[in-house]
Amino acid sequence: MERELIVAVRDLTCRYAGAPRDALSGVSLEVRSGEFHALLGPNGSGKTTLLRAALGLVAPVQGRVEILARPAGDWSRRDLARVVGVVPQREESLFPQRVHETVLLGRYPHLSLFGGVRAADRAAVERALVACDAVDLADRWLWTLSGGEYQRVRLARALAQEPKLLVLDEPTASLDLRHEMELFELVRALVDGQGLAALMITHHVNLAARFADQVLILAEGRAVARGGPADVLTRETVERVFSWPVAIEPFEGRPQMIPLRQRKDAP
Amino acid sequence: MRRSTQRTHLAALLALAVGACARGEHVPVRGGLAVTDDAGRRVTLAVSARRVVSLLPTFTEILFEIGAGDRVVGRTAWCDYPPEALTVPSVGDGMPPSVEAVAARHPDLVVLYRSGPNVAAAEQLERLGIRTVLFDLNLLEQLGPATRRLGVLTGQEKRADSLARVMDSLASQPPTPSTRSLVFIVWDNPPIVIGAGSYLDRLAALAGARNVFHDVSSPSAQVSIETIAARDPDFVAVLTDSAVPPRYATRPEWRVVRAVRTARFLFLPGQLFGRPGPRAAEAIRELRRRLEAAP
Amino acid sequence: MKYVLLAAALLATLAAALLLGPANVPLGDVLASPILWQLRLPRAVLAFLVGGALGASGVALQALVRNPLADPFLLGLSGGAGLGAVVAIALHLPGPWALPLAAFVGAVGAMALVYRLGLIGGAELDPRILLLGGVAVGAFAAAVTTAIVSLAEATELRNAFLWLWGGFSGASWTTVLVILVYAPLPLIVLAAAARPLDLLALGEEPAQYLGADVRRLKRVVYLSASLLTAAAVAVAGVIGFVGLIVPHVCRLLWGRLHRTLFPTAFLAGGILLTTADTLARTVVAPRELPVGIVTALVGVPLFAFLLRRWSVS
Repeated sequence: MERELIVAVRDLTCRYAGAPRDALSGVSLEVRSGEFHALLGPNGSGKTTLLRAALGLVAPVQGRVEILARPAGDWSRRDLARVVGVVPQREESLFPQRVHETVLLGRYPHLSLFGGVRAADRAAVERALVACDAVDLADRWLWTLSGGEYQRVRLARALAQEPKLLVLDEPTASLDLRHEMELFELVRALVDGQGLAALMITHHVNLAARFADQVLILAEGRAVARGGPADVLTRETVERVFSWPVAIEPFEGRPQMIPLRQRKDAP
Repeated sequence: MRRSTQRTHLAALLALAVGACARGEHVPVRGGLAVTDDAGRRVTLAVSARRVVSLLPTFTEILFEIGAGDRVVGRTAWCDYPPEALTVPSVGDGMPPSVEAVAARHPDLVVLYRSGPNVAAAEQLERLGIRTVLFDLNLLEQLGPATRRLGVLTGQEKRADSLARVMDSLASQPPTPSTRSLVFIVWDNPPIVIGAGSYLDRLAALAGARNVFHDVSSPSAQVSIETIAARDPDFVAVLTDSAVPPRYATRPEWRVVRAVRTARFLFLPGQLFGRPGPRAAEAIRELRRRLEAAP
Repeated sequence: MKYVLLAAALLATLAAALLLGPANVPLGDVLASPILWQLRLPRAVLAFLVGGALGASGVALQALVRNPLADPFLLGLSGGAGLGAVVAIALHLPGPWALPLAAFVGAVGAMALVYRLGLIGGAELDPRILLLGGVAVGAFAAAVTTAIVSLAEATELRNAFLWLWGGFSGASWTTVLVILVYAPLPLIVLAAAARPLDLLALGEEPAQYLGADVRRLKRVVYLSASLLTAAAVAVAGVIGFVGLIVPHVCRLLWGRLHRTLFPTAFLAGGILLTTADTLARTVVAPRELPVGIVTALVGVPLFAFLLRRWSVS
């Protein structure tokens, strides 16, 4: 069965106003349902730009972006929010709110202008909380949550949008080992269980290798390698992109990167 | 000198001193003139002032009235009475006074109304070596003393004294029993009326009209239209040179006030009524005449 | 439940506004009295509408600049209105509508200027730029106002300042009608923006990902809130605290979702201002206090009380 093509990025070139070089240069990417894509690369390599361009927030200088076979620029923000659920890197929290309130915000793209919240919406919120194992958090205030709990709640909000594609921008940046693993497992489960597509920007090369179906490595706005983890994460590629000597060891059929010490004389 | 002559001189001086202390205003100093002004300052002149700058229309009027008009070398732009005053060069509108313009007239005396900015201006003039004198002039009672002291400083004591006596007798007159009531409205949005602390309130009382806001002690106060309507004055007095009803007269909310609805306005020209001055008696007579002429 | 409470408070406030006053209107004559129909009723209705406009405007602006300390007058509108009023008086513009119209034009001018500043360099109405621009424009307007005042005749301008400090003594049915015709459009626009504003609280990028057209939203909300405030100033002078405190009180009591916050802030703002106006004209009778002072004296302790209760719970 052909998987549905959700996002197609073709030869994308983007440049921010006044910048000396392109932020992205000739990058292509295809994300289909049931696929977990990881986006890797050093800081400033264009990962967030690619994300923004893929979602129509940044207009390309060259190239095309299509979402569900329509140009990204043609999508209204509201319609797009029903297809793509994003967990951004940062969000603000101006006034105190409860978990179920913030997850309900994910239903807003589905609510009519002056209409009320329907039973179907509450059911979607409930399902999202269940999928993220956050039902018991529903009545808690956001500011009382731990980092890991907070990320699960934000993921639940994205799920409440009932999207076809989940996009996560460095979701495990400040999480401890357990919560990090839990989050990756959760995304994997959603991809496998609900047929969602997932696109995740992450610094965690090893976990990306373990969990993702496809990996795209960016460096200085260019796509260095694209494909399955075993094909992409070779020693030469990783060392070149991240400018650090590594050793690659297989684990459960996936390459794992081990950074090497620089100073031989240190104990 | 014979002892008896000395004693006579001494006695005369003492008598004069005692007599002057009773007034408490001025003491002739040997070889000079001195008064105490309303800022508590002792103002002394070697000889009577020859070049006076007046920074209030009332002072200009008084100076001309007591025969010192030819010594006035500077006035404010507002000083328009008597007509001869218009030939005197203006030193600006006086709010606040332009120290430079005043100094350019080379005065030996500057007469100011006592207010915050004027006190500061007076200090600056004193620093330039120019004598200044500050008077309060909000009430009828203050006209007499101000007139007398101006008389001393300009050497026109006799005429000043007779004018002052007229002012004092006017000020000490008891209010005429009132048959009519009025309100002075100086602004409409928000409504500002005149209270007991103002000279206008006194004028009205002497002319036989009761100010319905006489119970408000300040010179002016913000009130609501409803309060004015509740107090139901017979007339609305407006300080204006025209005879056109004020712009709020046609508005429905103002017409709740009976006097506005029946167009019973008293139009009082600013020149005569706007400030306490030597023509206060004339103002009172004019107001009484208009009150009696109205239906 | 909350709307029942607010409605009851509104009725009580209106009753007080209509029955209290310096003129002794016997209860039997109340319905026939011109004092009631021409003075007290339009004044109460106007105070309610202006208070409601300021409350709703405060909610919108606090959401827009994502700052709970925002007040409708933070964006330079009061300075612009003051400048307009002073110019109208200094030029002796004729007619009873000269002053409110000039104040309105001044406020709208300030709004346009801050808006333009907010768009410089593609900033797209960045909240910090809006706030700084508002302060700058307000200060500039105040400086020009002071210059005019110092050069022109003093007494009339002093009275202009009294007007600017806020009050409903000029209330008339015509004024009420003008507001009734004018206010619904911006209010409806703000009501439609209620859900997107909930999203905006997460930040501009997250809001976009959740379906809000942030660019359009900010412009529309800024213009609507400013137009509401400009009308309020034109009619009643500068009345502070209502737009700042009422949104907070309503948020504490009834939550931060804008679908609830806009209507409750409108009602609460109207109730607060009508009460304040009744107090302003009865407490020091026969004199009147500027309404802005009463709103501060009433609003701040109320807010402190609520804050204590909320932080304890």
